Amino acid sequence: MNNQLTMSSGKRAHIMRNILKNKWLYLMISPGLLYILIYKYIPMYGLIISFQNYKSYQGILGSEWVGFEHFERLFGSPDFWMIFSNTIILFALQLLIFFPIPIILALMLNELRSEKYKRTVQTLIYLPHFMSWVIVVSISFVIFTVDGGIFNSLLELLGFEKINFLLKEEWFRPMYILQVIWREAGWGTIIFLAAIASVDPQLYEAAKMDGAGRIRQMVSITLPAIKSVIIVLLILKIGDVLELGFEHVYLLLNSTNRQVAEIFDTYVYVTGIHQGQLSYSTAVGFFKGFVGLVLVIGANWLAKKHGEDGIY
Amino acid sequence: MKRKVAMGMLMALALLASACSNGSGNASTGGKENGGSEGTGGQSAPAKISIMTPLHMAETPDPKIEQLIEEKLNVDLDIQWIPASTFPDRMSAAFATGSLTDIVNISITGANREAIRDGQFWDISAYIDQYENLKKLNPEVLNNTKVDGKLYALYQGRPLSRQGIIYRQDWAKQLGLSDPQNLDELYTMLEKFTIEDPDQNGQKDTFGLAERGDLVSGAFKTIASWNGTPNEWGVMDGKLAPAFMFPEYKETMEFFKKLRANGYINSDFPVTSKTEQQNLIMNSKAGAYIGCMCDVQQLYTGLAQLQPDAQLEVFNQVKGPSGKFTVFSGPGFNHPYLFPKSAIKTEEELKQVLAFMDGMMSPDIANMLYWGIENEHYTVVDGKAVPVKEQAKIDRDVKPYNTIEVGDSATNSRLEGKYDYTPMQKAQELFVDNEAFVVPDPTLMLDSDTFTKHKDRLAQIITDATYNYMLGEMDEAGFNKAVERWKSEGGMQMIDEFNAAYEQNK
Repeated sequence: MNNQLTMSSGKRAHIMRNILKNKWLYLMISPGLLYILIYKYIPMYGLIISFQNYKSYQGILGSEWVGFEHFERLFGSPDFWMIFSNTIILFALQLLIFFPIPIILALMLNELRSEKYKRTVQTLIYLPHFMSWVIVVSISFVIFTVDGGIFNSLLELLGFEKINFLLKEEWFRPMYILQVIWREAGWGTIIFLAAIASVDPQLYEAAKMDGAGRIRQMVSITLPAIKSVIIVLLILKIGDVLELGFEHVYLLLNSTNRQVAEIFDTYVYVTGIHQGQLSYSTAVGFFKGFVGLVLVIGANWLAKKHGEDGIY
Repeated sequence: MKRKVAMGMLMALALLASACSNGSGNASTGGKENGGSEGTGGQSAPAKISIMTPLHMAETPDPKIEQLIEEKLNVDLDIQWIPASTFPDRMSAAFATGSLTDIVNISITGANREAIRDGQFWDISAYIDQYENLKKLNPEVLNNTKVDGKLYALYQGRPLSRQGIIYRQDWAKQLGLSDPQNLDELYTMLEKFTIEDPDQNGQKDTFGLAERGDLVSGAFKTIASWNGTPNEWGVMDGKLAPAFMFPEYKETMEFFKKLRANGYINSDFPVTSKTEQQNLIMNSKAGAYIGCMCDVQQLYTGLAQLQPDAQLEVFNQVKGPSGKFTVFSGPGFNHPYLFPKSAIKTEEELKQVLAFMDGMMSPDIANMLYWGIENEHYTVVDGKAVPVKEQAKIDRDVKPYNTIEVGDSATNSRLEGKYDYTPMQKAQELFVDNEAFVVPDPTLMLDSDTFTKHKDRLAQIITDATYNYMLGEMDEAGFNKAVERWKSEGGMQMIDEFNAAYEQNK
């Protein structure tokens, strides 16, 4: 016992010494730590209100406690499965359709011979990222509206029926994923291009000597080399499972596509801010965060099991 | 390799951060008291008064009028302009975080009503008579704002109903049409505007009605009330029932469904914004606009730029199948002004704020808030205000201040207007004409706990169903199912509570 005590105090002294020794490094990370503490951890205190009937004027401590009532209401609500499946489907679309696109784009860019042409293309495909969703959605509205939209006029000219892209349930998901691709695909290539640039050129030379063609080089050298980057990004992406872009979906959401377009983020906003059910919407948000956490841990575990680094 | 990846990530992050950091500074231009101006010498320090108000323009106005008010009423005014589209959201967020201003204009329904009951706002019943101007406010309208018989709010007046139709008179003349006297004539007008080439360019590039996604004040509710649908709630078999349970509501949906199926209305109307809707009129795509007749000035200004010889006309009395003209009415006020205790701590401060509101009702300030500065934004002819021709200047300098007017011309003695543009002048007269035919909302003064707590959540069920029906995505059975869902999720309780209150008030 006594021994243990001295050991632990010895350990503490060791840690203190370590901190003192590296004080500048610690000082340098402190803004980041403070940021996370202030903006990520302290606000979690507010999650308490999901167990209360929160009234802003009664404060977090003064409001009435109701236990799991809001969670029960959420799981018992017919809306729950609709929102849950909408969220999962959009997430699956993001993962299956959107996620590979930047990788493919990066590989293609990497194969370009003219450096100038490559840079130009790169810059051009980045640009949409800097447009806000409001602009992206407005542009697609103008293009796809039935009343004089370019696309529908074209369809009509070619002798097809006009299609109501904006008000048909079945067009919501294609529109969503196309807009995501248009805006984010180019931006997503940055990290992959950086990873590709770091591959040792000697490997390619050796492969060429052995008679490997371009495709073979891509499959056997480039892809394995950036595999760990892909996996890290995949895990991060999965952690964002329920971050499908509130702003984006909210702008697309309307009375006619709510059955397929309502996701957790929009539901939290509408019930909380529009309808003033602060506690209920906090409970929904809480649940969403919890699912995200489980998924990240799961994905990380899977990655480690297959011999990759994971994110922690 | 890892280091390079990290570098790449870092760079990406840095770029991201710089892309995100162009925050929008929406702070108001804090009009400080002009230090050396004469007359302020002997007075006490100006009282600090803050107010939040919706901004319907793209930019915050020129602070000149704000400075004049500060000078005249000896206050240090802080006006927070909040874009109108996000105003309700911003207000509930401000409420939740306890950052309300001295004067707020929020609705007195929903969560706010609970907060009022809980004593979060000053009860001003006892004070109002002490102020020379405030006591002129219309007691009937004040009554509409009361909660449990107590007065918490001052109001900004609005004509009871400004609903009507604005249409292209030149097109109508071309096709031999005149003011639509009933719904059939209205239908014919919209039909002919679409199929008979009213602009004579040989192409089928026009349609009848421009509508937006708005079931609360747009064409849908107006036509529904012309058709005899009650205003939100009506009496059916001696009991109160919501409007959508009445056959007239379904007929109106049917009317819109037919319009849309035939292409007489913009088919994306559920997702059309007010700006888009007005553009359809301004660039001569659509021929009719149903809603506030006050929009005729703005529509004409835009239209005349592209089509100088276009003419617009306003009309209100479109009769329903019963042969009678009915139109829904508002409560007679726009946003009520409330005084939160979180911002106004003492009675002393409350009196200061009320004195300021009293000052805002004095005729010269009321004129300034509504018309602007005399000889700069308007001139007085025969005791009436005539706005200057430059609409853009008025929009920039004066329009935003309209939202902080207290009372209306009848109570704050601001000048009546005389508009050069004849249809705008006619619209003013039609507002008055509407008054004799209005249908009020019978639940306005009634209380229902379910309504207070769940009105928006429940309303969404019906809004979604109504649009889906008009678009042909839902049949009558589907609509009835939505109504059943509304009932089972709290609607039935709402009906019972309103009826209990209705019986009591009889």
